[in-house]
Amino acid sequence: MGHTHATRAAAAFSRRKLLRAGAAALGAAAFPMPAIAQSKPFSGVTLHGASFQHRFFTLLQNYIPEFEQQTGMKVDLQLSAFPVYNQQANLELSSGGSAYDFVNVTFILAARWVAAGLLSNLDEFTQDANLTPADWNPKDFVDGAQVPYRDVKGATFGYSWEGGAMLMGLSRMDLMEKKGLAIPKTFAELQQVCAAINGTDNVNGIVSFQLHHWCLPPYIQGFGGNIFRNPPADIMPMLNSPEASQALDYYANLLKNYAPRGVLTYTEDQARQSLLTGRSNIFIHSSSWVTPILLSNESKVKDTSRVVRMPAGPVRDCPASNSQGLGIPKNAKNKKAAWEFIKWALSPEISMRLVKEHGHSSICRRSVIESEDYRKLNTVNGQDLGALYLEVLELPAKGENYMAYRTVREFPAVGDVINKAVEQVVTGQLSAQDALKAAQDQAVANLRRAGSAL
Amino acid sequence: MSEEGLLDAGRRRFNRWALAPSLIILFAIAVLPALYLLAASFTPFQLTTPGSATDFSSPLRNYRLLPGDPRFVNSLIVQAKLSFWGVSFQVLLGMLLALLLHVRSGFVEFARTFFLIPMVLPPIVVAVIWKLIYTPDISPLYYAASLVHVTLPSLTSSVDFALISIIVADTWEWLPFTFLMVLAALQTIPDEFSEAALVDGASRIQIFYYVTLPFIAPILLVSAMFRLIDSVKAFPLIFLLTGGGPGSLTEVTNYYAYLLAFDTNEIGYSSAVTVVMLLLVASISLGLVWMGHRREAVS
Repeated sequence: MGHTHATRAAAAFSRRKLLRAGAAALGAAAFPMPAIAQSKPFSGVTLHGASFQHRFFTLLQNYIPEFEQQTGMKVDLQLSAFPVYNQQANLELSSGGSAYDFVNVTFILAARWVAAGLLSNLDEFTQDANLTPADWNPKDFVDGAQVPYRDVKGATFGYSWEGGAMLMGLSRMDLMEKKGLAIPKTFAELQQVCAAINGTDNVNGIVSFQLHHWCLPPYIQGFGGNIFRNPPADIMPMLNSPEASQALDYYANLLKNYAPRGVLTYTEDQARQSLLTGRSNIFIHSSSWVTPILLSNESKVKDTSRVVRMPAGPVRDCPASNSQGLGIPKNAKNKKAAWEFIKWALSPEISMRLVKEHGHSSICRRSVIESEDYRKLNTVNGQDLGALYLEVLELPAKGENYMAYRTVREFPAVGDVINKAVEQVVTGQLSAQDALKAAQDQAVANLRRAGSAL
Repeated sequence: MSEEGLLDAGRRRFNRWALAPSLIILFAIAVLPALYLLAASFTPFQLTTPGSATDFSSPLRNYRLLPGDPRFVNSLIVQAKLSFWGVSFQVLLGMLLALLLHVRSGFVEFARTFFLIPMVLPPIVVAVIWKLIYTPDISPLYYAASLVHVTLPSLTSSVDFALISIIVADTWEWLPFTFLMVLAALQTIPDEFSEAALVDGASRIQIFYYVTLPFIAPILLVSAMFRLIDSVKAFPLIFLLTGGGPGSLTEVTNYYAYLLAFDTNEIGYSSAVTVVMLLLVASISLGLVWMGHRREAVS
């Protein structure tokens, strides 16, 4: 009796199972799901990533649930303040930790992390057709933005999610036209325009901000000098060169004579505000700080503004640029899952959505920057800001990578003494030559103290 | 052992157990970090150099480098200037204000409360207030000056005024502390002393010098000591107002230590700077305490 019952139950179970399986098969045939959702290959994986706080990640977080739904993995993204993140990530990677599956490869740390072998070679992922479809196209990333993430052999250790290109914003073209002044294209013309406009209609000729180690190097390079002898291979500081002295004299003269009172204590925000209200005519800084004169609702000078390339020096033309990348630590636990995330976050589709849905234009995919949609959104008063951004971002990859000085770990110690030297010259404490001689001595002492072999 | 002795021993044991949790917490939050700081100062710890945190091969290297570091030496001089002038003004003006407002009047008593506001504000708020005052574009001070056709220089980026502007802001913030301390001391002086002096024909200045000052002198000393120790912590003002500049004119030692640790990642060297600063502050404080004891012993 018991046995018969059991047999019947087994038969019923089998029939039920069969019916269910049939229904499922029919359902699947009627409503096919995307391949990735069918497999959910990373189901149960929690991906740990870290970066500094940035608008890109704030926007990306809106889309991450879609990615989690598609792949089945959970994304734990830790965002910290810029210096805090850099310290944490530096310590984590240097000590061979495996807490993070993907990290932001900060521009200023890129060369060291790549050279020290702290990151995974991403070519292993991009060259595997099973891991990366052809339409993801790694060559679509702007070459200039990718330079910091390559080693000497050309292997790639990061893909850039953010680009910055130094541009010149002019807020009072009306005043310039009245005075018959053209947009300055050389350092000499820049000085002439600043002198001619300064004081007219209470407008300052130029505005800048505290970060002189970002603002000054394009002038040093423009006059033919450099920060280090041949970075990243030779990091002997070259601050006491005649070219650097000439550049510091030139830059200090602009700040002393044509900038607002107290410019030495100006933050980026203050400088931007001075430009947007038309209190200062010229501001030379990254695109995201300068283009708001044309794009932001805060701008009171939209009709009289232009955004152009910064003037070229008598010897070279080196507008600063930078980028931030995503990479996978060498000891990460979930490398394939991390690559899946990077691939998704930096896909042309997500990049385009960021541009179209949020107006976030500082992305590094060439196909998106050159797209019609991008151009439409970033062309103001006939000025194609995307083309300008792309032009500058590409420069370090054409010939010498003049931005290499900024990607070596020794730079912060040298940047700090550059800031001091600029302030000393602008306030008349020292001549450019003396300030740079002292800066050179201090930079060499700092680097030796930090263990660099010079 | 007598019954009383046993009771005492039991009480002592109980006291030790009762104190133990506090001491353990104090050890964890105060002593351990200080020991870690001391240990780090014996290493060339750099965030960008793996293994440097545990490299004790040359423990005194950082300390040997300090005297030859011009920025460190300059930072000590700047700190000395800031502390001397800041504390002097705070003690002097706080005392004068207390003497001025030591009157029995409902209005004055009400007004005294307002003088305490700067002291209870968070330091970063004080820094923001003074940032607004010192920023030429938005400052009421600069606006008022422009109305009378006076062009003020940018105070925080001026070679002549940068340190003074920090001293002024620091004095504004901490003058109420000395004011409060001296006022409390003044209220403990019996009226009979000054009345007797007045009857004897003493002038107001003589009463202050021979009667009031001896009473408030210990309080002035304690206030000065507290303010001297605290003056080393003028970090938010410098961070927000001058960034240590122009050049290194307002770069005090703790700001330099901050730059070393968080700008250039030199944790080991920064720790050595901090340990030296800690020792200097501790020596000055102990010196002042010793002077106080000596004065008491003499009197």
